[in-house]
Amino acid sequence: MELIRCIQAEWLKRRHSLASWLVIVGGFFTSVILIIAKLVHYDKLAEANKQPGFWRQHWLNSWESMAILLLPLGIILAVSLITQLEFRNNCWKQWHTTPQHFTTMYFSKLLVLIFMLLQLFFFLNIGIYLSAVLPGLFVKGTSYPAAEIPFSLFAKQNLIFFITSLPVVSLQFLAGLQFKNFMVSLGCGITLWIASIALLTWKYSYILPYSYSSLYFFNIAGRFKHQINFSYWSLGWFFLFTVAGYILYITKKEKG
Amino acid sequence: MYCIETKNLDHRFSSGQQVLSNINLKIPSGSIFGFLGPNGAGKTTTLRLLLGLLKKQSGKIEFFGEDFEKQRIPILKKTGSLIESPSFYGQLTAAENLEILQRVYCIPKKRINEALQIVGLADTGNKKSSRFSLGMKQRLSIAMAILHNPDILILDEPTNGLDPNGIIEIRALLKSLNEDHKMTILISSHLLSEIEKLVTHTGIIHKGKLIFQGTLNQLQQKQERNSITSFETDDNEKAFHILQQNKFEISSKNGKINLSIQDKTAIAGINRILVENKIDVYQIHSSNSDLESIFMEMVSK
Repeated sequence: MELIRCIQAEWLKRRHSLASWLVIVGGFFTSVILIIAKLVHYDKLAEANKQPGFWRQHWLNSWESMAILLLPLGIILAVSLITQLEFRNNCWKQWHTTPQHFTTMYFSKLLVLIFMLLQLFFFLNIGIYLSAVLPGLFVKGTSYPAAEIPFSLFAKQNLIFFITSLPVVSLQFLAGLQFKNFMVSLGCGITLWIASIALLTWKYSYILPYSYSSLYFFNIAGRFKHQINFSYWSLGWFFLFTVAGYILYITKKEKG
Repeated sequence: MYCIETKNLDHRFSSGQQVLSNINLKIPSGSIFGFLGPNGAGKTTTLRLLLGLLKKQSGKIEFFGEDFEKQRIPILKKTGSLIESPSFYGQLTAAENLEILQRVYCIPKKRINEALQIVGLADTGNKKSSRFSLGMKQRLSIAMAILHNPDILILDEPTNGLDPNGIIEIRALLKSLNEDHKMTILISSHLLSEIEKLVTHTGIIHKGKLIFQGTLNQLQQKQERNSITSFETDDNEKAFHILQQNKFEISSKNGKINLSIQDKTAIAGINRILVENKIDVYQIHSSNSDLESIFMEMVSK
């Protein structure tokens, strides 16, 4: 019960915050761009909608910028903003004098971040669908996409993209709790992301967890393949960062 | 029974500097305890230790006779606090800020409005709390501290930065919380004058040591014992001799005759004796005539 109450309280804290807006904007950003692009090239729309591989191609187009750029950067920014809420508002001392276990406080905040990630995926998927069907409504002679939506494939790939995001969430959460200065956690995250992009084609690039969503995208797009299991690596890093973050948080001598 | 009691509380910074030394605070239930000391004396460190915001190094902290470390959660359920600057989420309204704590304390929603009524913020509506004035921010923090109707309220310099009107408002609010809602209040300040009209008990801390603890009356008695009235006359030697004959306890320093009295009638009587003995009295001066002076004297040693 304590955990549920604490999660509810954490969920309320993020109301009207920049991070909560970021989830909505981030979720629909790529779709809006795709809708505009399709309307600009409206003459190709009718033909594209008839293709048997329509949904797969649309899915890859939607995920390209998301997996490489927007998802990791969005997570870095949103997690830093959420942890910064306590520092900026001077709220750690108030929060730590509420009758709750520190373990509950740590995991409820982490769970809220994971719920926000799920929220982002939900908006993203809605956006992907809308960006596939909406342009057709405005262009004469364009029918609903002929191909069937490969639900199970998309569900599986959604799940793996979600899992590849978890280590970024947990490492950013660790940094966000440790450093009062927002720029430190943000800077660390962006540096690691740039490093992972620079090393994408290196055979050991899978060492950096910030590259997993990009590498997985390249795998499903057939551009280049890594013979590693992204889910296992992601879950391993996530577990490690979560435990390390928890130990650092719980053993802090000053709690606000 | 004491609401809060600390036993031999010591604390050192990581640099090795001793911040608190052998603090034995005793805060009676139902009191308003003024915790006084100049800036850097160790007030905030003590309060942060009491609330578990700092890891205790040695000594014991008890709330309601129970060990804080072992009973942290049940104790915090009965405690409200405001440490230093106000703490709230600026992007939320006053009611939304309280709603967060309402979930945590698992109390009825109507309590949010009650707490806002008590601190006079019930009509702030949709205004974001970051746009509140300093006084409103302070009152919101107090509303957050009293939302769950705690038995004890710990406030660290809650009137910091407020204008005189704001200070009077907060003082009246705290008095009503103590009298009407039966809350024990521990309030820290670096100015005795600011809280002497409010508190029933005081503790004075200086350089990490508790140098006085007791009721306001005890502090006043101590002040009277330490008070000195000095007389400057045209013939101090003769005056000294006459007052000694009249069984007064006197001393002579810097060309003045000093007596440990404050009573106005007694001072007038001494003056009369001197004048009747043809001694001209140039000046009568009473020092330490208020609590602030005794506080200043205590912390300047």
